[in-house]
Order: sequence, then C-alpha cells, then structure tokens
Amino acid sequence: MSMDPVTRIAGALALHVTADLSEGRHLNVHSQAPLFRGYEVILMDRDPRDAIFVASRACGVCGGVHSHAAAYAVEMAWGLQPPPLGTVIRNLGEAAEMGYDNPLHLYLLAGPDYSEAVVKRTNPELWPKAEKWSCPGQNFHGFDTMADLMAALNPLTGELYREGLHFTRVAREQFSLLHGKYPHPQTIVPGGVSTTFTLQTLNEFQSRLSATFDYAQRMVAVWDDISEFFYEADERYKQVGARRANLIDPGYWDDPYAYDATYANCNEWGEQRPSTPGVVIDGELVTTRLTDMNMGLEEFVEHSWYDEWVDGDQRYDTDPLGNPLSPYHPWNKRTLPRPGAKDFRGKYTWACTPRWDRQTVEAGAYARLLMTALAQKHPPSDFYEATGHSLRMRVPKGMQPEAEFEWDVPEVWNAFERNRGRAYHYLFSQLVSLQNVVLAHQLLKRGEDRVAAVNDKELERRIPKDERLGVGWWGAGRGWLTHHCVLDQGKIVNYQICTPSTINASPRDPFDQPGAYEESVLNTPILERIAEPNDYTGIDMVRAVRSFDPCMPCTTHLHTGHGTIVREINTCACDG
Amino acid sequence: MEEYLDPVSKGSHVSRLGPLDKVHAFWFSGMSCDGCTVTVTGATTPSIEDLLTGSHPGLPQIVLHHPVVNLESGPNFLRAHERALRGELNAPYVIILEGSITDETAAMETGGYWAGNGDEPWGADGEERAVTADEWIARLAPGAAASIAIGTCATWGGIPSADGNPTGAMSMMDFLGQDYRSAFGLPVVNVPGCAPIGDNFNETVAAILYFLQGFGPLPEFDEIGRPAWLFGETVHRHCVRGAYYEEGSYAQEFGDPECLVEIGCWGPVVNCNITSRGAINHVGGCMNAGGACIGCTMPGFPDKFTPFYKVPPGSAVSTAASRILGSLIRPMRLYTNEHLNREVRWDLHHDVPSGWARGKQEPGRLKEAGHRIYDKLRRSNDTGKADVAPWGKRHEWTYERDPARERTLPGGTDRNTAERGAE
Ligand code: SF4
Ligand code: SF4
Repeated sequence: MSMDPVTRIAGALALHVTADLSEGRHLNVHSQAPLFRGYEVILMDRDPRDAIFVASRACGVCGGVHSHAAAYAVEMAWGLQPPPLGTVIRNLGEAAEMGYDNPLHLYLLAGPDYSEAVVKRTNPELWPKAEKWSCPGQNFHGFDTMADLMAALNPLTGELYREGLHFTRVAREQFSLLHGKYPHPQTIVPGGVSTTFTLQTLNEFQSRLSATFDYAQRMVAVWDDISEFFYEADERYKQVGARRANLIDPGYWDDPYAYDATYANCNEWGEQRPSTPGVVIDGELVTTRLTDMNMGLEEFVEHSWYDEWVDGDQRYDTDPLGNPLSPYHPWNKRTLPRPGAKDFRGKYTWACTPRWDRQTVEAGAYARLLMTALAQKHPPSDFYEATGHSLRMRVPKGMQPEAEFEWDVPEVWNAFERNRGRAYHYLFSQLVSLQNVVLAHQLLKRGEDRVAAVNDKELERRIPKDERLGVGWWGAGRGWLTHHCVLDQGKIVNYQICTPSTINASPRDPFDQPGAYEESVLNTPILERIAEPNDYTGIDMVRAVRSFDPCMPCTTHLHTGHGTIVREINTCACDG
Repeated sequence: MEEYLDPVSKGSHVSRLGPLDKVHAFWFSGMSCDGCTVTVTGATTPSIEDLLTGSHPGLPQIVLHHPVVNLESGPNFLRAHERALRGELNAPYVIILEGSITDETAAMETGGYWAGNGDEPWGADGEERAVTADEWIARLAPGAAASIAIGTCATWGGIPSADGNPTGAMSMMDFLGQDYRSAFGLPVVNVPGCAPIGDNFNETVAAILYFLQGFGPLPEFDEIGRPAWLFGETVHRHCVRGAYYEEGSYAQEFGDPECLVEIGCWGPVVNCNITSRGAINHVGGCMNAGGACIGCTMPGFPDKFTPFYKVPPGSAVSTAASRILGSLIRPMRLYTNEHLNREVRWDLHHDVPSGWARGKQEPGRLKEAGHRIYDKLRRSNDTGKADVAPWGKRHEWTYERDPARERTLPGGTDRNTAERGAE
C-alpha cells in the first residue's frame, strides 16, 4: 500500500513525503520552506553599521550568532581587528549560546521523540524491553532503567525536560551578562564588543558555567544510553536519518592572538580556532582551509522562488587573493524574490540550495567535533585533545569527580549519532568556555581591558568609501554560518546569509542531488508499529529530520517561521 | 499536548479562585525569527511550564497550540483551530501572534505567498492550497477572548517592515483595523520588544487571566495597547548608568562604564523596562551589560533609529546641559563622598589608624571646617538632641565619645606619638 503523501511538518518547514507503509520505506521527499522575510533585501542600501542589529533578527533561536557573523563580515571589509579581550568576550558569549542551544534541542525538541509518552504509542514493543534494560550510564545520570530515563524525557513533566529548560535559562543569563539580552545581543560592534567587562561580570559568568559540568556529564551519558538501547533493540535504527559522511564546518570561536580579521590570513587564524574548520567528503577530511571552503561554496535557486541572477556579467571572478569564484558564489549572488506556485518539478521553496564543490554537505554542531578530531590542529588545550579518530575531553570536578570522556567518530551518521554528537558538543563548548574564562582572567591581570578596536566616533570616520568584500565564517547551534557582504561608497550593496538550516533543508540542486534532510529521510526505514494507516505518526522520519535540529527561522534566513515539531498527518494527495 | 499531560490534567488544576479551568491559546508565526517564543520559554514569572501544566494557583491551565512547542502527533495541529472556529472548544481561547503580517496581495500577483501556515483542501476539486498566517488570524480574531501581539514585529511591524522589504510587512493591529475588538471588547494587546522580555509577556497574560478569574484588577493599557505598568517609563529612568548622565559623564570608548548616549543610546526617549526587569531572571539588560538602546520596543523601530551607533542628534542639547550641571554637581558629591568614607573615629583621631592609612589623606583645615558646617546643618533638626531623658536605657550603657580618651586608645594619635617618641 502506498500513501500519497503522508506527512508534513507545518510551520516554516514543510516536508512532503511519500511513504510505502507495507514496504516500510520513504519513496519521495520534498523539503519546503514556506516563509520569506527579506533580511538580505532589507540590509541592502544601508549603512554598514546597521548590519549587526538587522542581521541578528534573521533568527531568534540562534539569537546571537548572526550578530557575530555580521560583525566578522563587516570588520573584515572595514579592516578592524578586535583586541584580545573583545574576542574572548565573543567566545564566552557564543559558548554560552551553545549552552542554551544544545539542551534546548536535546530536551525540549528532540527529547520528547524518545520519551515514554511517544515510545509507548509508536513502538509499544520497545517498552517492556526498556523496563528491563539497565542503563550503563547509571552512575552519571542516575536512571536505573531505560524506562525511567524515557519517563524523564516526557514533555513538561519529566525531570530531564525540566532540567533542560532550567539550563537553557542559566546559559541565557550568562549570555545576557555579556550582551544584555538574548536573543539579539546589544553589545556586538564591528571590531569587538561594547561590553563593560569587570571582575564581577567574569565571576557571575564563571559561577554559572561551573554548574554546567556535572550537567554535561549527565547529558552525555543520557544520549549514549539512548543510542545503545535503540541499536540493541533493532539494528535498523542505525539507518534512521542515515546519510553519507559529507559534512562541512568553518570552525568556531577564535584564538584572541591569532585572529586578525583579514581575508589574507584567514587560513592561519582559521586553523587556530578552538574548533577547526574543515570539509569531510565520504568520511575523509579534504581541507581545513577557509579559502577552500569559500571558493567551493555556491548557492542555486533552481527550485527556489527567486529569479536567476547569472547573466554572463559576473561581479567577481576571483576572491581578494586571486582564487577563482563561481558566478553562484555568495559574493556574486543576488537575492531576487519572486513568489510562485508550488511545483515539485520546478520551484517549491523559499530556501536556496547551497552546495560545496557541487556536493550535498551537512552542517551540524557535531561537525565541529568531527573536524577537530580528524584534523588534530587545534591549539593546545588543558581540556581536550584530538586523536585523529576521536576527541578526548577532560571534565573538571564539580559535585562529580574529574572525569574523561571520549567522543568517537561514528561509523555512520544517523539520527542517534547526531543527537549523541550534540550532547558531546555541549560538553566541548563548555570546556571552550572555561578555557576562555581563564584567558579573560589573564587579560584582566595584565590590564589588557580594551574590548573594541576603535571608539564610536572613529567607527563613523572609518566607514570605507571604496569597494570592499567581507565574510564572517561562524557557527550556530546547527553548525555552519556565513555572512558575505559587499560594501561600496560606504553602504551595503550586497548581503548574503548562508545558514546551516539552509544547507540542510535545501531542495534538490541542478545536478538532481537531494538536500540533506531529503536524503536522510529517503534512507530511513519505517520501524513504527502501524496498526491502522490513520495512526501512523511518522516518528521515524520525524526523528531523522529533527536530529538535524531544524530551526526553520534560520533555514530561511530569508523566510521564517518555525520549524518542525509539528507533524501533521493527512492522507490526501497533493504531491505530483 | 493535552494527551501527553494526562497525569497532570487529571489532577485538580481547576482553580478555586475563578471560573476558568482551561484556556486555549493559538500561537501563530508571521514573519518572525522565533525570538519571542525563545524569550517566553525563558520567563519565570510565571514560567511557561507552570502555565501549561496549570500549576500556578489562580490561573487556568493553558492549552497551547504552537508550531514549535506543540507536541501533538495524533489530531493534527490545525484541527483544534478548526474546532475553535466552529465554537466547539468548550473553553475560551486567545490568539497570539509573533512576527509581522505579510501583505499577501503582493505575493499573489505572481501566484505565490510570503508566509504559508499549512495546506488545506480548497475549491471545487478540493486541491490543497497553502493557507497563509494572515488568513488564520482573520478567521480566529473575532471570536478570541483576547488577541495578543508579542514582539515588535507583531506589535508594530518591526524589522520585516523596514525600508526596502518587498513583503509589505505590518503589525497585527494594523492588519485587523480600527474597528477590531476581541470577544471581550479589547483591541489588540501589544507586548513589544525585539526580542521582548519573556516575563513581560507571561505577566501580561497572567494579569489578563487574574482579571478574568475575578480577583485581579483590570489591567491598564496605554493608548497604543501596551501594558501601562510595564511600558509607562523610559528605560533611561531606571538605567544603571543614569547617574552618569546626570553628572554629565559619557562613555567615550566601547566598554566604558559611563552613560552610553554618546555611543548612540536612545534610552531617554524609549519606553522599555529592561533596566529594571533584566533580560531573564533579573540578569542582564542592555545598558547593564554595556549596550546602547536602539529602540527595539518602539513603533518607529528600526528606521527611526538608524544608522545605529550614530549619536541621536537630539541628545546634543541635553548632554551639553547635563555637562554644565554635572561640572557643578560632581565636585560637590566628591567632597561629601570623601567625608562619608571616613569613620567618625578617624575624625576624632585626626588619623586613620590602619594599614590603609598611607592611602588616606587627612582633610585640610578648610575641608574640615566645611564638614563641620555640613554636620551642623545635617543635625539641625535632629530630634535625637531633644532635652528628654531616655528612661528606657540605663545610664551606664551610654558610651560618651571623649576625644581625649580616643586619642589614647590603640591607634590613637597620642599613643602613636608616645610610641614613636619612645623609639
Ligand atoms: S545609557 Fe542610555 S538609558 Fe542609560 S543613562 Fe545613558 S542615555 Fe540613559
Ligand atoms: S533598552 Fe532599548 S534596545 Fe534594549 S531592549 Fe529596551 S528598547 Fe530594546
């Protein structure tokens, strides 16, 4: 029996899926972003000083990353190098943002998919097993059996759900100490920050950070156990959300002494980032150079509601270093919206199609662990170490004694490994935070308390009047984030945002390769127990898509809404 | 959501404090960044989990239909909306909009839409058609107990309505028009901010519900629909840097602790309470951290405030005035502050008998005379000097300070002189 189409996700992401329930397979998937907001268009024609605050509003879920990416892009174009403390404060704020984002996803959004409430309904056969399965990570998370753990994941009432909510609040307090509010920080300026940073600020931040390490140990153990339980219950869970190991990440946070805001030196300072930039194709690390990543990036609108801009007249043939650029590169791209009817053979989404080297790549917080582990280039750290196949992390003692955790590069990238990776990424980001707390103390000790390159008056005087290019390579809770800008005569003449969710939710490209969501759903077997087609919840597909942490407002940078989490089941036909 | 909450909703969440035990809330996203949802999940007075589980005494349980937080997987997300339309919910409902409303007529010209919110069968052949957020708002607004716009996009158009946007973004109240009143007779309630303070929103919802339950006061709204008790003051009035402004001291470098007006702060003319409430759990706040106000709560945001970081032109007059005033006030305050930073004992000793003594300067004769006059003035109508015996305390307990005796105590000047002399 074939149901045509089965499931969609309302909000800013709509997945149009055709599933064959008797075969237990997904046959056809189209990922659609139904909202357009126009941030790139709004930014054009403006004073570059507006970029940070306007671009921030592209996403409120990842509510600090766009400000930062915009600051990076604009300060590169402008030639403003932040002083070390400015970079350290940015690092601290962004580590705190991960401290909110990762638990938000794992417990408020993805967690319920693995909770007692859902599992009992979609796969009742697993429940007796869960009741008997004693958790290997019991010492760290305190749950005797998987059933106890699953009950703790129940929305609103479960212990893990409520604890997750609590820690998202603690992290947002940390962020607000430095940046005033979350989302949409108020203290990011080109060339640094405007934070009034005293020992009180640092201590209030650090005291909240200290509480996260015990919690991180618990989180890692919870998601380790969930993966093991499902794999043991049915091998086929390894195929849920599985896709090729093609991932990309531009690195995250900066070494305050290496980062100089120039394009010319970006490969050097890029490789000094606490999390290494990199591209992995079929499991192999192919580059860690930011210029390679930049050259390979293209965005297509074949299936998106925008007009083509390539008409033989290409603005930039090369980047500022002479490396060739495609006409589809963000510096050459133009945002020309044209709403149209949904047509899966033609245009059907507001998301564009970013590709790297014309291949579908995937973005995710876990990509940071992967690149850093494989490259072994990260600057020396007291708290973590790459081995070439894993990342070893040392957790400082809290209530729990000091411990070492190791994240191994998974054999297959599937829904469970993405969630597990995100849990380890939480730990990783908090360790980066701790390292930056130490750096901040050292800087204050030496009296290096400047936080921005220039003051407000100088900023105004220094607005460049000639043509300049800038790119901010940054990250979000979902991985890769870039802002590309072109300034001319002191104003923004082009602004392009490429978000991780655009990368993951992209539709098919001109070479007929599906986007990452699409590909992972196609590979997902239907393991749900379906008595009646009407009861079908699509849980397997939902787990697959949700493991990417699809925050749609992001996806759509230009379009918004929301992602996910709502799945609507209907059985009427509209898919061509 | 409801079905997951079975154990909770079977408990007695029915309030003894009012008639309502359940209120449905339909949350829509127009052109939003989801930042409003995010701040609401951070709010704690009351918290979202308390509202949703009905565990805040006095308040009904809120049944939320939200595109992100909704956990429902059985009856589909839009079905409750349909029941509400048909009046079959058996409970009042409110609608909440986050994000601005698009002008879909512009998009229709090329046969598309800016903001879809699910497909519906439509027309003779029942073909599925994208339904825009606008349509749902228009359908549900008349029957809603209250329509609440959260965040600057929904309250005034916000960033999506900025110059240059093709989508014709507008606010919820502009979209519903002059004649709109909710079922309870209110125009749209506006809780602005980009992003808004989550607690401002939760508190407004709670205030409306306290009232509907019959025990709370009628919440007051200002002439553009903002909760008056939250937005009646400018952010400057509670700013932690306000005194710098008064003394005419302005931050010149990013990161300086003084008033931020000369790095572009609009605080004196912006209605916002973040300096008194903080961003989350009373932590943060723009100026508290060092951020200049860009007016993100205001109907004129963003285009009446851009370019950001440019000093508001109107501030030139007031900062010049406060510089003049400040040049008088600051030395006077410094003078008294120095005096207050001395123990009474030290004045009696004419010396600071501690390890920090080297850092402390003795006031000169002139200053001392001034302080004496000041102290006289201060105690001029001190009733403690009235001629009545304190019969409530025994006389021996009164410790009269005798300058001569003080000087012989440890650290006293006489002793020091004697010791020094002995060396
Ligand atoms: S920083 Fe802004 S709000 Fe605070 S005192 Fe100065 S002008 Fe007022
Ligand atoms: S102080 Fe200004 S920028 Fe900050 S939240 Fe209030 S209105 Fe917005």
